[in-house]
Amino acid sequence: MTEPRKTVMSVEEELEGDLGTRRMIVNFGPQHPATHGTLRNIIELDGEVVKKLEPEIGYLHSGFEKISEYRTYNQTVTVTDRMNYLSPLCNNVGFSIAVEEMMGIQATPRCAAIRVALCELSRIADHIISVGLQAMDLGAFTVMLWTFIEREKLYDIFENVTGARLTTSYTRVGGLLRDVPPDFEQMVRKFMVECEKTIGEIEAVLNGNRIFLDRTQGTSPIPKDVAISFGLTGPLLRACGVPYDVRKARPYSGYENYRFDVITGENGDAWNRYCVRVAEMKESLKIIDQVLKTMPQGPIYVDDPRIVIPPKTAMNTPGGGMEGLIYHFKNYMLGHGVCPPKGEVYSSTEAPNGELGFYLVSDGTQRPYRWRVRPPSLYNYQAFPYMTEGGLLSDVVAVLSSLNIIAGELDR
Amino acid sequence: MDPIEAVKAKYADQVLGTGTHAGQPWIDVKRDRIVDILKTLRDDVGLDMLTDLTAVDHLNQGLPERFAVVYQFYSVKDNVRARVKAWVPEADPTIDSASALYRSAPWAEREVWDLYGIKFNGHPDLKRLMLPENYEGHPLRKDYPLTGRGERMNFPRYVP
Amino acid sequence: MGLESMLPDGVLTSRIEALVNWGRKNSLWPMPFGTACCAIELMGTLSSRYDLARFGAEVIRFSPRQADLMIVSGRIALKMMPVLLKIWEQMPEPKWCISMGACASCGGIFDNYAMIQGIDRFIPVDVYIPGCPPRPESVIDAVMEIQKKVERESIKQRA
Repeated sequence: MTEPRKTVMSVEEELEGDLGTRRMIVNFGPQHPATHGTLRNIIELDGEVVKKLEPEIGYLHSGFEKISEYRTYNQTVTVTDRMNYLSPLCNNVGFSIAVEEMMGIQATPRCAAIRVALCELSRIADHIISVGLQAMDLGAFTVMLWTFIEREKLYDIFENVTGARLTTSYTRVGGLLRDVPPDFEQMVRKFMVECEKTIGEIEAVLNGNRIFLDRTQGTSPIPKDVAISFGLTGPLLRACGVPYDVRKARPYSGYENYRFDVITGENGDAWNRYCVRVAEMKESLKIIDQVLKTMPQGPIYVDDPRIVIPPKTAMNTPGGGMEGLIYHFKNYMLGHGVCPPKGEVYSSTEAPNGELGFYLVSDGTQRPYRWRVRPPSLYNYQAFPYMTEGGLLSDVVAVLSSLNIIAGELDR
Repeated sequence: MDPIEAVKAKYADQVLGTGTHAGQPWIDVKRDRIVDILKTLRDDVGLDMLTDLTAVDHLNQGLPERFAVVYQFYSVKDNVRARVKAWVPEADPTIDSASALYRSAPWAEREVWDLYGIKFNGHPDLKRLMLPENYEGHPLRKDYPLTGRGERMNFPRYVP
Repeated sequence: MGLESMLPDGVLTSRIEALVNWGRKNSLWPMPFGTACCAIELMGTLSSRYDLARFGAEVIRFSPRQADLMIVSGRIALKMMPVLLKIWEQMPEPKWCISMGACASCGGIFDNYAMIQGIDRFIPVDVYIPGCPPRPESVIDAVMEIQKKVERESIKQRA
């Protein structure tokens, strides 16, 4: 373990006043009950007031960017699941869109619509957990159990569609793993009704609760220009009043066809962030409703056998099966498969935490030369000292839980 | 104002190449006056958010310099994106820090120092971010092996 | 027969070991050392649908001094390993360890410079759970395996 950080005060400064008080250094360590992952904060306290806060990260650094240089593009999708593990489908979709942009291909309309529907369901999963954990950190344990029930229902839907509860790895370059099952619409509509009821219950419990309001209102407001300079994105930036949403600014995957509002807050404090998240969940339900109503029929794979493997029926039919067999074989050989042209691209999508960006550099082979993830949590967490210095120790917990820092994405 | 025009007007000798790809302008520059270039982009062009700061290691690719520090920008009011790439040689991997201009730069620069070994002059607190303090080596360089050099085994065993 | 026939009704005889082990196995207090995706599945196991509290794990102690079962869920990075060792040393005997998921058991998909290739290189593990992440039913099965293990132990081993 690293040694305790040395302060830069002299002995006289430390023993100030008649009481002979001293500043205390508290380690809000990497293993703590606020289950936001492995974050460490070294807090210098003067009584209850936070004088200096120094975060330390890297306790979950897994070398994502290095291992993807040894994997093909379609294999890297499995790695993107493990970044923001509360909403893995958003990461999958973001990555596939980045590679497709580099290759200059567009997904089919049905594939785009399914991606939007699953992204929005993931967004609800992420926001509902974030609200639940925020409430749990401030004492309302029941809300967390309610939100986990909704998440279990979402897990059932994801398992039916993708095959896994959490680590879905559903999208591929140019398409998806497979089409949605026939009862997808029915499952999702049933979930939407129940989810709306639960969101109403959560609002009824928290919106009027004196303790919740006192602990979140006025905690760490951020002015707009400071928020933009820090690179904050997502609900944190929108709670400050800046209406920046990547889905509206740079629409991808057919988002321009759906009507939804960008929710903004007023002064960026913890209360506004909570309100923005709850309102965004309702907007997501609206988007899913529109997607289910207008879901086009058709293929989900791009019609390019060099990128997408042909279906098995093309292999097994006599007289015409040879081409399918060759493409099946070739796509997995070294040097073939998804090989984007030389170049680089920066593509971003709206993850529940903010702007999830992918910077890809390709050298023409089937492995990415450089794969950089722009994690929203890193830039959100960098503003944490600004938000807490000068406040009370109990506000540190209230602010941390409202930021929704995912350690997997932060440290990669 | 167009980012490419703004940079070319004032710093034409620093620009190595420009272009536009998928609606995003990109500019390749030398590293000497990078802080002035970033200041022009922030104040004159209005790119007020530094979305990302990273580096790429072009070892053995036949390019004149080995490292490239890449800055991604975004302008919230005009909805314009831009990318600036500053080339850094292997012999002297240092570049000026952008921490004074953008508050999102410090940690990104610490991460680049940690994983690539590029030093940022003028950074308030340049130390490792992701790896332990006593780690030796810069893992994301292309000549560093994937499985490391034995650091992951180097812990005291548990003795009950 | 024997002693029991001479005692009044309502008195059982047993060995002290069996009694102690029965108490220990039905009140395992876990300490979740959750780092990554497996931690979310562990939280799902502790929630209403797959309720781990039925096994006596009602009290989730985040303090190592008050726990006896450490569930390591998630990948352990280079920087986190000393923390894990310190927390393991802080737990008082008797203590057991479950290594949940592929990353904690063997490094998982992360065979690189920054990941510990299995915590059993540094900590004695009792039960391993494969999966990425394992389903909550697997976690419950692992806790039941620990219960069987506790039942078989002799209290002299854990002095």
